Amino acid sequence: MSFFLPLNLRVGWYLALRQIRRASKWTTSLIVFVMVLTFLNLVAVTGILVGLIEGISNSYRIQYTGDVIVSALPDKSYIEDSPGVLKFIESLPQVTAISARYLAGGTVEANYLTRTDTSDKANQTGAQIVGVDPVAEANLTGLSKYVIEGAYLAPDDYDQILIGARILEKYSFGEQPGLTPLKNVVPGTKVRVTIGSNTREMTVKGIIMSKVDQIAVGVYMPEDELRQLASINNYDLSQIAIRLAPGTDAAAIRDLLNRSGVGDNAKVRTYIDAIPNGVADITNTFAMLGNMISSVGLVVASITIFIVIFINALTRRKFIGILKGIGISAAAIEISYVLQSLFYAVLGSGIGFALLYGFLVPYISAHPIDFPFSDGILYAPLPGTLLRIALLVATTLIAGYIPARMIVQRNTLDSILGRN
Amino acid sequence: MAIIHTKNIIKTYKSGLVETSVLKGITLAVERGEWVAIMGRSGAGKSTLMYQMSLLDEPSSGEIYIDGTEVHSLSEREKMHFRLFKFGFVFQDYALMPELSALENVVLPLLMERLSVDEAEAKATEALKRVGLGHRLNNLPSQLSGGEQQRVSIARAIAEKPEVLFADEPTANLDRESSGTVMALFKELHNEGQTIIMVTHEEEYGKMTDRIVHLDDGRIVL
Repeated sequence: MSFFLPLNLRVGWYLALRQIRRASKWTTSLIVFVMVLTFLNLVAVTGILVGLIEGISNSYRIQYTGDVIVSALPDKSYIEDSPGVLKFIESLPQVTAISARYLAGGTVEANYLTRTDTSDKANQTGAQIVGVDPVAEANLTGLSKYVIEGAYLAPDDYDQILIGARILEKYSFGEQPGLTPLKNVVPGTKVRVTIGSNTREMTVKGIIMSKVDQIAVGVYMPEDELRQLASINNYDLSQIAIRLAPGTDAAAIRDLLNRSGVGDNAKVRTYIDAIPNGVADITNTFAMLGNMISSVGLVVASITIFIVIFINALTRRKFIGILKGIGISAAAIEISYVLQSLFYAVLGSGIGFALLYGFLVPYISAHPIDFPFSDGILYAPLPGTLLRIALLVATTLIAGYIPARMIVQRNTLDSILGRN
Repeated sequence: MAIIHTKNIIKTYKSGLVETSVLKGITLAVERGEWVAIMGRSGAGKSTLMYQMSLLDEPSSGEIYIDGTEVHSLSEREKMHFRLFKFGFVFQDYALMPELSALENVVLPLLMERLSVDEAEAKATEALKRVGLGHRLNNLPSQLSGGEQQRVSIARAIAEKPEVLFADEPTANLDRESSGTVMALFKELHNEGQTIIMVTHEEEYGKMTDRIVHLDDGRIVL
């Protein structure tokens, strides 16, 4: 194609380079600034929307499931051959931390000492009660960091529990059907914990708060306490949460566990598999929303470049006519404008890219956006970002080429003489 | 053989239903090495004739031969090649690219002629030295006087030794001293054998040429 002849490219490059170099610094800065904003709009809007949901996944992984979680098969209440499974997992070199949990459904009742009329409804709520090794759990999920009142459990604590803040009236999201928040519960308050037919009076040692529901509405106690209360006489675990060494592929370990027979005794899932179903749907919906908003930004940017190049070419119409008059090819002149657009797009994207990965992503990762249900991050995977850069550059090239061609293709003499 | 030969050129412009004839049958031959001035009143068709001969415009009818080639049937691309390789242009308002230095303005068409940047810069420097601007190579047009800008324009036109140099009112925007310098340059070029076709309305400069072609109302008058 003659348009891309090396000669046209060379002359176009020669012209473009000098036009950019000697253009008004303010105008160039402004156009590049628009391109930076467009780039950030393209990446950040989707990134933050998806990052909200990614925040949920992250919290889930860090605070609850670890990288891989092994739980009971759907038709079982515990992991079969729990000691064997646990031993095998502990033997894997990629595993850096483990928390073995016993789970039981139960109720927690408060204010029973001040209840005067037995016909009154008890201040009681259902909760998932988790028995853990406090040290291992803190090591894996950092549970001790989520204590907002009182103190964390010690391994030898007796009759002590941690209670999720969302089941307390003080921290609950208000009245919800089927959920009765516990009133007047603070560290030191005695509550009745019932699992099956066993009830024990226990003291609230601490209140834990997290954006992960399982923690916020759960009750934690040392594993031996739970085994006693739930009458678990062996070591039949409900869950084993596993943290892997950085860089280890969670899916590969899941597959390894399944292949090695653990899958016959338990359900093995990565943290992504374990996320509640709706989350993936929300991620897709948010990504689509983000893309829609971003594409408006893309259209605005392409119109900006169109106008900039059109005005630039229109005001230089006489010079364009003269260039054609003295024998410079139309293609070379058009290429010079396309290269100018390319310069704006590449520089804008480059600055945006540096800003994104040099500042925004690490900053928001260190200081997540505090949403009620998630610690939002800026989710910007590199392949997606590169695709958006390619999209921005391609759009800009077209937006630069069309107006340049509109002006360059006008009659040479009319352009020289300024005739319409 | 004439380097440019026009036969009965007619140029008509249409504006709505009104038709205006600017050239009404011009037959003219310019010999190789000749310096011809085209003169006449405003609106006589001087510039229009030059645009037809220099392939910047196309006549409504008639024939133009350049170096024996009938140019009517040439494509736009071929005409561009003719202008690039055979012609040089000097315009009344200098027509320099404002963001290119004097040297770069001269280099640009040389690059289009497939010269390397080094070769083009060497030729451009030589041409600029020739017009007395060897010390102003890197100045932008805005940093040059009108006379200097017109000399850059001449350097651009002659750098690759064109067969015909077209000049459209080259002194119209210049003071007397600068005009004298430009005309002295043309004379020097002509003495070296350069064919020049120049549109001017100044009798004094017309007299410096080999021949004056007077136009009036679109026709050559004696």
